Amino acid sequence: MWDELRALAGILPKRRRRLDDLSRELQQHLDLEADEYQASGLSADDARAAARRAFGNPTLVAEDVRGEWNVRWAETLWRDIKHGARTLRKDAGFSLVAVLTLSLGIGANSLIFTALDALLLRPLPFAHADRLVRLYASKNGVVLPVPGGPSPPDARDYAEASRSFDQIVVYDIWRKNVSFTGAAAEPEQMRVGLVPAAYFEALDVQPLMGRLFTEDENHEGRNYVVAISAHLWATRLAGDPAILGRTLRINDEPYTVVAVMPDTIPHWMEAARPGPVEVWTPVAFPSWSSDAARGVRGGSALGRLKPGISLEQAQADLTLIAGRLAAAYPVDRDVSVVVKRLADTRAGTLKPMLFLLMGAVALILLIACVNLANLLLARNATRQHELALRTALGAGRGGLVRQLLIETLLLSAAGAAVGVAFAQLGLAALARSHSANLAQFDGIALDWRVLAFTACIAVLTSLLFGLAPALTATGLNLVDVLKQGGRGVASGRGRALRNALVAVEMAMSLVLLVSASLLVQSIVRLQHQSLGIRQDHLLKGHFYLPPARYPDAAAIARFSDAFSETVRALPGVVDATITTAYPPNNGWLQMLNVARHPVTRLDDVPSAQFGVTDAHFMRTMGIPLVRGRDFSVSDTVERPAVAIVSAEFARRYFPNEDPIGQTIHVGPPPSLQLPAGTDTADSADVTVIGVAGDFRNAGLTNRPEPHLTVLYAQHPLVNFGFKDIVLRTTVEPHLVAPAVTRELHRLDPNLPFAEVQTIEELVDQQTGGQRLTATLLAVFAAGGLALAVVGIYGVVSFLVAQRRTELAVRMAIGASGRTVLWLVLKESLGMAVIGSALGLAAAAAGQRMMSGLLFDVSPIDPLTFSVATLVLLGIAAVATLVPGVRATRIDPARALYQD
Amino acid sequence: MVECLPTMPPTRSRTELLQGTLDMLILRTLLFGPAHGHEIARHIQRTTDDVLQVEHGSLYPALHRMERKDWIVSSWQRARDRNREFKYYRLTPLGRKQLAHAESKWKQIATAVARVMWPSPIER
Repeated sequence: MWDELRALAGILPKRRRRLDDLSRELQQHLDLEADEYQASGLSADDARAAARRAFGNPTLVAEDVRGEWNVRWAETLWRDIKHGARTLRKDAGFSLVAVLTLSLGIGANSLIFTALDALLLRPLPFAHADRLVRLYASKNGVVLPVPGGPSPPDARDYAEASRSFDQIVVYDIWRKNVSFTGAAAEPEQMRVGLVPAAYFEALDVQPLMGRLFTEDENHEGRNYVVAISAHLWATRLAGDPAILGRTLRINDEPYTVVAVMPDTIPHWMEAARPGPVEVWTPVAFPSWSSDAARGVRGGSALGRLKPGISLEQAQADLTLIAGRLAAAYPVDRDVSVVVKRLADTRAGTLKPMLFLLMGAVALILLIACVNLANLLLARNATRQHELALRTALGAGRGGLVRQLLIETLLLSAAGAAVGVAFAQLGLAALARSHSANLAQFDGIALDWRVLAFTACIAVLTSLLFGLAPALTATGLNLVDVLKQGGRGVASGRGRALRNALVAVEMAMSLVLLVSASLLVQSIVRLQHQSLGIRQDHLLKGHFYLPPARYPDAAAIARFSDAFSETVRALPGVVDATITTAYPPNNGWLQMLNVARHPVTRLDDVPSAQFGVTDAHFMRTMGIPLVRGRDFSVSDTVERPAVAIVSAEFARRYFPNEDPIGQTIHVGPPPSLQLPAGTDTADSADVTVIGVAGDFRNAGLTNRPEPHLTVLYAQHPLVNFGFKDIVLRTTVEPHLVAPAVTRELHRLDPNLPFAEVQTIEELVDQQTGGQRLTATLLAVFAAGGLALAVVGIYGVVSFLVAQRRTELAVRMAIGASGRTVLWLVLKESLGMAVIGSALGLAAAAAGQRMMSGLLFDVSPIDPLTFSVATLVLLGIAAVATLVPGVRATRIDPARALYQD
Repeated sequence: MVECLPTMPPTRSRTELLQGTLDMLILRTLLFGPAHGHEIARHIQRTTDDVLQVEHGSLYPALHRMERKDWIVSSWQRARDRNREFKYYRLTPLGRKQLAHAESKWKQIATAVARVMWPSPIER
C-alpha cells in the first residue's frame, strides 16, 4: 500500500520544493563566480557585482528554467491525452460500454443533485436569508401541524420581549374570490395573503411601484388596499402603468391597488398550501390584537433575526418568554414555540426521500465504478505486455499510472457529457409529470452548480474506478510478464480484487432492490387502501359565497340547495352533495359535550372531526350506514337536529351503549370554565340517528378519527360561506365539470369554481412525493441490477477465458462438462452469496432511514428481503451460466494447441 | 537540423539552435564525473580556451531539460574543497546513449561540412 501511495505522490509535481532548489542552485553559482572575481583581486562588493553582471538577470534565467519544466509538463500531459484517446478509439467496444455505464451513473447523480440543490442547497431569493426563520407553536412539546404559527398576541409579546429578533410577523393565507374590474375575465378564486406591512419588511422585499401597507391600514374599515405581484400585473392587468389607485374586487368588495410587488416570494413558502400568492391585503381582524385571540394558533409566522444571532440563541430567548406567557395565561399552558430556519422548511417532507434517492444514485454510481474497475482490470491484464514493455523502455511507475488514469479521466469526461444529456431528459420528464405538485421544483434547471457537481463526480469517479486497476497493473513483476509472452496472467491479487468487487456490487444492488421494493409496496398500499368511501367517479370543487351578497345562513342555504339541485339534474351525474368534509383530510376539529362524559379540564374535552353537509352526503360519497338511518330531506330546520357519527366515534364515546338516540352538544361543555379567547364555534344539541362506516379524515396515513356529521339546514351557526360540492358521476368525472361551472355561473356569474379535481386525483396529489420517489427508486434499482448483471457476466466470462487452458486440461484428462460447469459456477456463486449477505446486512442497517418513508410495510419485511435475495441470486446464476456453459464446450485439443 | 557553433549573441533563437550542441557538450563534460553547473561552464570555457562561453541563461534551462529527459540526474552534495552543498549532475545510462548518438550525428555533420569546405583527399 505504501508503495502505491508513493507512486501516486510521484505523479504530483513537487513544485514548491523544486522552486526552492532552483533558487539555491543559482545562488551557489553566483557565489562561486564572486569568489573567483575576489581571488583575482576585486573587493568583495565589486566581485559580487561583477558576478551578477556576468551571470545576467537571475530572475530571467530562473524563468527560462521554469519554462522548461512547464513545457515538459504540458507536453507530457498532451502526449498522454493523445495517446489515451488513441488507445480508447482502438478499443471502441470497451470505450462505448464504459461511457454508457458511466453516463447512466453520472446522469442519475446529476439529476438527483439538481433536485437536492433546488430543495436544500440553493440560497433563498431573499437578502440575508440566513436570518429568516419560521415560528411554530408547540403544545406539550408537540409542534402543531403546518403552518402552525403562534397566536397573534403571543407573537406580539415575543417580539416585544425578545432581544434576538428584528421582526416577528403573523399572517394568514385565505382563499378569496378576486375580480379585476374592467377586465372581461370572470372572477377567480385566488390565494390572498393577509399580511401586515412588516411581512414584506421581514422578507426585505420592496415594492416595484407604490408603497407598503401602513400600520393604520391594519384596522378594519381602513384595510381596503391591495398589493399585487408583478406577474399578476403583467398577465392580468396588461402591465397598466396607471395601475396604482385602480380597484380590484375581492369577495365583492373594492380594494385600491397601492403597490406592485416583485415576484420574489417562492411558491413553496406556504408549506400547507404551496402555490403562488399574488394578492396581499392588510390583516384587519380586530380580535387579533386583543387577548381574546391568545388561543388562536395555526396561522403562518415569520421572523427576522438580528444580525449575529444564532438559531440557538433565538430559540433559548423565545423559550424563556413562552414560559412566562404559559405561567401568565391559562390558554398558553404547556404551549411553547419552536424556531426553524426558513431555508430548512423548503424541503419539508421531501427531505428524507431526497436523501434516500441521493443514496440510491450514489450506489448506482458505485456499481458503475465497480463494473468499470472490473473491465479495466481485465483490459489492463491484456495490456500487461504493453505496460511491461514501456517500463523496460524507461517509463516510471508514476508515468504509467498517470497514463492509465488519463484514459479513465477521458472516459469519465465523455460519460459526464452524455450523463448531463440524460439528466436533462430526466428533468424534462419530471417537469411534465410532477411540477404542479412540487412547488419547490419551480424553475428547476441544470445550471453551473449542477455542472460543477457533475465535473467533480466525474473526476472522483475516474479515480475511484481507475486507481485500483492502474496500481494493480503497474505493480507487476516485469520479468514474470515478459516471460509469459503475450498471454495475460491473472495475478492472484487482481483476481481477488475482482471477486471482492463483484461481491460488493451484488451487495449494493441488493440494497437498492430491497429499498425500492419496500417503497413500491408501500406506495401501492397507500394508493389502494380504502378511504372508507367509493372513491371512483367522484368530482369535487370549491366555491365561496362572500358575505357581501350572502349575508346570512339562510341565503347561503338557499344558494347551496339550489346549486346542488340543478347539478343533480345534469346528465351523467348520479348524485351531488354540498359539504365541508370529504376524504382524506378534514381539519375542522370540533369540541363536543357528550352525555356522561363530564370533563373539568380543557384537554379532556371530547372532540371530533366535524362536517356540515346536506342530506345527500352519505349516498354521494358511498359511505356505508352501519346502524340507524341516513339523513333525509325532511330533516329541516323545523325538525329536531340530527347527526350521524362514525363507527370510531361510537366506539370511543359510547363504548357500552347504543349511540342511536343519544344527544350530543356541539360545542364545549357548559360546565367547563374556558379561558377567554378559546374558539368555541357553535353551541347546539343534536340527536344521533345513524352510525356510518369510518372514512379517512385525518390524512392518508393516519387512522380515521371520530367523525360527526350534521346538516347545514339545521345548524345556521355553522353554515359558513365556504363550501365544496362533491358529485358522483357515471361518466369520466371531468367531463361534467364544465356543465357544473355553467350551472354555478347561471346562479351567480361572480362566483369562481375552484380546485376542481377528482378524489382520486386528490389522493394522487398527496402521494406525489412518495410516488415520484418510488418510481425513481424503482428505475434506479432496475438500472443498478442491470449494471450488476453485466458486471457479473463480464467477470465470469473473463475468468472462464483466463482458465481456458486449465479447463481444457481438466477435460482432456476426463472431467465431465458438469464438473467444469460446477467449477465455474462455484466461484461466482460464492461471490454472490457473500455479496447478498453483505447487502442484507446493509439493508437492515439502513432500516431507520427507510422506516419514516414506509406505510404499512416493515422496513425489514422478511418476505421482501428473501424474495429480493432470491431474485438477485437467480439473476447472478443466469449471468454465470452463460459463460459457464461456454466453458463446457471448450474443445481441449484446440485450446491446448493454441497455447 | 543544422547545428551551429555558439558564436552568435545570446538571444532566444540562438538558444534553440544551440540546444543540441550545448547538450552534447554538457553530456561530454559529465563523462568525467559528476559536476555542478558552475564547474560545467568553467570546464567548457577552459577546454576551449574561452572560445565557447556558456551563457548561464542557456546552461540551467538545458540542465533541467536534460534532467526531465532522464539523461542526467542531480543530487545535493558537499563539495570536496568547500564546506558547502552544490547541486551535482551525473550522467545516466540513457544520457550516455544520448551522448553517443549526438556525437555520431555531430561527426557526420562535421565530416559533411569539411568535405564541402576542404575538398582535398587528406581527410581523416
